[in-house]
Amino acid sequence: MHGISWQSVDHSLDECIKCNICTAYCPVASITDLFPGPKYSGPQAQRFRENGQPHSPDHAVDYCSGCRVCNEVCPSGVKIAELNARARAQIVADHGLPLRNRLLGRNELLGKAGSLAPGLANFALHNPISRIVAEKVMGIAKEAPLPTWSRDGTFVDWMKRTASQRLRSDKKVVYFHGCATMHYEPFVGKAAVAVMEHHGYEVIVPPQNCCGLPMLSNGEFKAAEGYHRNNVAHLGGYALAGYPVIGTSTSCTLTLKEEAPELLDMHGEAVTSLKMGTWDIFEWLMEIYDAGELRTDFQEMEMVLPYHAPCQARAHRVGKPALEILALIPGVDVRESHARCCGIAGTYGYKVEKYQIAMDVGQELFDFVLDQGEEVEYSACDSETCRWQMEHGTDLPSRHPIEILAAAYGLYDMETRELVEQAT
Amino acid sequence: MLDLLVIGAGLSGMMAAYAAARDGLRVRVIAKGLGSMHWSAGGVDLLGYLPGEEDAVVTPLTALDALPAGHPYRIPGQEGVTEALALFQEIMGQSGLAYTGAPSADSNLSLPSPVGAARPVYLAPAGQRGGDLDDDAPILVMGFQGMRDFYPELIAENLTRLGHPARADFLPLDMITNLRDRNTIQLALALDEPERAKRLGQALKVRVRSGERIGLPAILGLDEHPRTLEILAAESGAPVFEIPTLPPSAPGVRLHKALRATLLDAGVRVEAGMEAMGFEREGKRIRWVETETAARPLKHRASHFLLATGGILGGGIDSDHTGKAWEVVFGLPLTTPQARSQWFRPEFLDPRGQPVFRGGVPVNNEWQPVDGDGQVVYENVWAAGNVLAHTDPILERSLEGVAIATGVAAGQAIVQRAGGHA
Repeated sequence: MHGISWQSVDHSLDECIKCNICTAYCPVASITDLFPGPKYSGPQAQRFRENGQPHSPDHAVDYCSGCRVCNEVCPSGVKIAELNARARAQIVADHGLPLRNRLLGRNELLGKAGSLAPGLANFALHNPISRIVAEKVMGIAKEAPLPTWSRDGTFVDWMKRTASQRLRSDKKVVYFHGCATMHYEPFVGKAAVAVMEHHGYEVIVPPQNCCGLPMLSNGEFKAAEGYHRNNVAHLGGYALAGYPVIGTSTSCTLTLKEEAPELLDMHGEAVTSLKMGTWDIFEWLMEIYDAGELRTDFQEMEMVLPYHAPCQARAHRVGKPALEILALIPGVDVRESHARCCGIAGTYGYKVEKYQIAMDVGQELFDFVLDQGEEVEYSACDSETCRWQMEHGTDLPSRHPIEILAAAYGLYDMETRELVEQAT
Repeated sequence: MLDLLVIGAGLSGMMAAYAAARDGLRVRVIAKGLGSMHWSAGGVDLLGYLPGEEDAVVTPLTALDALPAGHPYRIPGQEGVTEALALFQEIMGQSGLAYTGAPSADSNLSLPSPVGAARPVYLAPAGQRGGDLDDDAPILVMGFQGMRDFYPELIAENLTRLGHPARADFLPLDMITNLRDRNTIQLALALDEPERAKRLGQALKVRVRSGERIGLPAILGLDEHPRTLEILAAESGAPVFEIPTLPPSAPGVRLHKALRATLLDAGVRVEAGMEAMGFEREGKRIRWVETETAARPLKHRASHFLLATGGILGGGIDSDHTGKAWEVVFGLPLTTPQARSQWFRPEFLDPRGQPVFRGGVPVNNEWQPVDGDGQVVYENVWAAGNVLAHTDPILERSLEGVAIATGVAAGQAIVQRAGGHA
């Protein structure tokens, strides 16, 4: 009874019936000639990549942003985005990797380096002159929305600092913070911890690495494999023991679940336990809600909230749990975006030759957000780079849905992005 | 919990979801991907041919009664089918995509196909209505140089041969876009721009001869289709109509989008990328359906389930190389021949059709799948659309009619049952 989704990436291409629905929905192909579309770069070009062909016939595949909209709409279950990702890796293997892509893939390293002296790093990265230099020398688009390093320490610093205040409980979950929460947005992690503790769960944060997605997207499979091995070593045991591994970055959790095992062909017991035991935080909250255990001690929040489920959240194929949970908060008028993609697609929109494509792709989302009316103060989206892109494209601040939920429980201030001190 | 989970986002699933949500049920639609409608010409075929007969049906409504017993049309009958089609027309009218038929309710329209054959269509979207082959006006088939999969010369020659005078002509594709290698949907989106439509209309005016009507590939706008049609007719000074293209089909996509928006307004979400691959039952009741995800299967709990996954072409029925065929979600009993040698008759174009396409899930008069003894398989499962047995939509030219009629009827049957339980 298993359909095509259970077959390997390579075999799935035989299911392609050339209907072109993927091309019709591809956000990149619809605005540029540089990418001919998923059907051509994926199942079609794959025919010429078979049997260890030394050189890929199709360098346009570099312009696939990896958003996975093609997979979502394909009626035949072809794993187009994965075919493209593997093709990119082959190009990298043939031709090597530009320094810029090597750097963009090293999210974790950049995060660590900047966190040593965040003030200096922020100045060094964000002043207009270095942005021009970065564009000219490295090819990193000078307008693209780079994050800023957290000035009051990393997320793990905060966990250590507040260890004595953290909830101890028999009910335990493991938190996968990802690089962005670690170095740039510790407040997302704080909000997540507050919400999980609010439900009586002790939050364990084991040592962990970057999920490896930036490297996978840039075709650097070997290095990504190293990261994934480390993550499996650190987290696999918890998953095996039945602790849910919960993340707030939908792309990191997707990588732990699927991208890394599938693209890297890693299928051992610990890898599979981690795959099966990883949850997006709202997917997990939805499970709690279905069990009748979600707390509903919400404060009323009068707000119109444009919400965009990012591509990488949709690629989990669990629906839109954040949308459903946010809609439970009294006063919150959640408006669902049906835009395909914000454009940035992880590191894609940071590349100078792709910046404008990413902005053009994102336009339908920016328009949607801005069309929701004057009173809109925030947009919401589960993925960090997408939020940065949405802020860049709309000039409106964007929040992770967990920040909004934490605020609704009275645990968090959406504006200052600080936890509200609880009277004890 | 949901009252109804619809599996399949084709025409039957969406119409059933609407019929149920309209009566207050909490409904969700899940689908493996976006399919069927994106491949359809966008019209509604009711009945073009009766099995075993060479000639096209002249009075399709009356002919429904001549279909063999067991055919899905025989359950709602003429009255039920007419009612379902009226509901379809009503919601499409509200979406700005008016569908109309021939002047007499009991006849088909005859419209040009993508190769210039005459195809019997019961209801056509406004954009295709002008291609009516009962109209004597000669046709200018206008194509675009470099546009794939649309062949004006072939269409014009075939139409002329059938007695409908037609000629072919071409305009440059850069009238519509400067990007190369565009597909139909991208071209249609480009023609949503009023300025481009205006420019195209003016170019048509130069080429069209007095008394002619203009047949163009079905790319005349996507989200702003009615406006694009209006601009083209006004600027060219001639009647303009669409001829369907190879997939993806803009008229089909418009239909899909309109239905999806209608469902959203009715509180029904349509989730694509969710492939049903398992279920949990308790005796003869389904407790939940599981869909494939990046990790664990996702459970969809509902009190009622509607199977609208399509037939052997749509993916609701799968098969292996021996000819063994199975229904992909619940493993329901099928009438499909289970050996490859029995799938086809010796003649490809046998007027009785091919057995494999007539196979499917047999149901009772309440649209509930039954086994060989006529017993209901699961108390809370219904089926609609092309997954049903005893219809061959390719031969009959009945695909959309069956989908709409059975979808609405099954949705109503579920409403009745849900009411009974409440």
